Amino acid sequence: MRKKELKLVVTFHTTADAMAMEKACKEHQAPGRIIPVPRAISAGCGLAWCAALEDREQIVSMMRMTGIEEEEMHECMV
Amino acid sequence: MNLSDSKKKLALAGVICGLVAACLAFLGNPANMAFCIACFIRDTAGALGMHQAEVVQYARPEIIGLVLGAFIISVGTKEYRSTGGSSPMIRFVLGMIIVIGSLVFLGCPLRMIIRMSAGDLNAWVALIGFILGVATGVFALKKGFSLGRAHAVNKMGGTMLPAIMVGILILALCSSVLKASETGPGSMHAPLIASLVGGLVFGAVAQKSRMCFAGSIRDVILMKNFDLFSVIAGLFVVMLVFNLATGRFVVGFDTPGIIAHSNHLWNILGMYTVGFAATLAGGCPLRQLILAGQGSSDSAVTVMGMFVGAALCHTLGLAASGTAMNAETQEIVAGAVPPHGKVACIVCIIVCFVIAFTNKRDEAK
Repeated sequence: MRKKELKLVVTFHTTADAMAMEKACKEHQAPGRIIPVPRAISAGCGLAWCAALEDREQIVSMMRMTGIEEEEMHECMV
Repeated sequence: MNLSDSKKKLALAGVICGLVAACLAFLGNPANMAFCIACFIRDTAGALGMHQAEVVQYARPEIIGLVLGAFIISVGTKEYRSTGGSSPMIRFVLGMIIVIGSLVFLGCPLRMIIRMSAGDLNAWVALIGFILGVATGVFALKKGFSLGRAHAVNKMGGTMLPAIMVGILILALCSSVLKASETGPGSMHAPLIASLVGGLVFGAVAQKSRMCFAGSIRDVILMKNFDLFSVIAGLFVVMLVFNLATGRFVVGFDTPGIIAHSNHLWNILGMYTVGFAATLAGGCPLRQLILAGQGSSDSAVTVMGMFVGAALCHTLGLAASGTAMNAETQEIVAGAVPPHGKVACIVCIIVCFVIAFTNKRDEAK
């Protein structure tokens, strides 16, 4: 079983924003992957973006550039 | 106990919900309808006089319990959020579509799983449609489909559906104003208190585990993530064991007495409609009730759409009939989808496509 690690988890207002994030990250070769929103941080059943903590700056600048707005940014075990 | 931090615990959540469904089936709920959201909303709509089909009228305490169970546990664990404003009328229409599709197939995704666990091959056929429907919804999501974001609203807004459910419960307990079937599926039910407690437990566990039938398939297709799927698998296994142990497991298509039909095309299209609409609405019928319980006015509006859709199914003759045994001739009479139901199902699919490809995230337009 994969060991859980502390990661950066970005949540979004809509599923469409999460899908746009995935597309933008692919285009800009930003690191990370799409995951279901961890239950510990939300009662929703949407999608979130998960990346390593050290990639935070790159992710944030890419989101500003592409106009993707986050709901919240968390650091949690994934 | 945290029910959601591993696949095993999520499967345990499914097992608990399966046990609730098995107990209610044992205590009197209709065969293989142990716990069906669409059927129970249809019965409750009938009890409120929204349709006049006399065999399907009963205020199902399970529906009341689901909403209140989710409400109580979300307040208790500080997950209650009063939100709304994400395309409410589109969600209302999607709620109607979800129930129309369900009643063409004769069951919601939860009942599809319960029927599958009892050997009903029609439900296995319908699963194909459900998966294709969710996949179509996922395709729309990838193309930028969005109903817009929900916003925080007045705290009381999210309590309206739970309050309505309390009102229905009071009417059921203290008056004879609600209609109740004397024959047919509506007359078959577990004792009120058992149904209510079962609904409360199911609702609380479903809220904590985020159980969703459309979501589970969506996550597998989108991310190859099996977390939500493990909840459904747990429920399926318990119901399979229950059906095997009580002699209710019968493999076949034309099985009288299980409220199902063998119109394969319409089983597939019915559940295709449900899978597609549920993915667009952000959750299956069960999930809509749970989200409404934890404060989402958008899901409460979807639930209202489900009530109206259920009423329309019986006032306009859209709902399918189940295969049954003629008591006099002892011949099996095949169940069928009426012509109006077929037309409605096709119209619902077209409406889903229009909704899916005309509502886009701002930047995707």
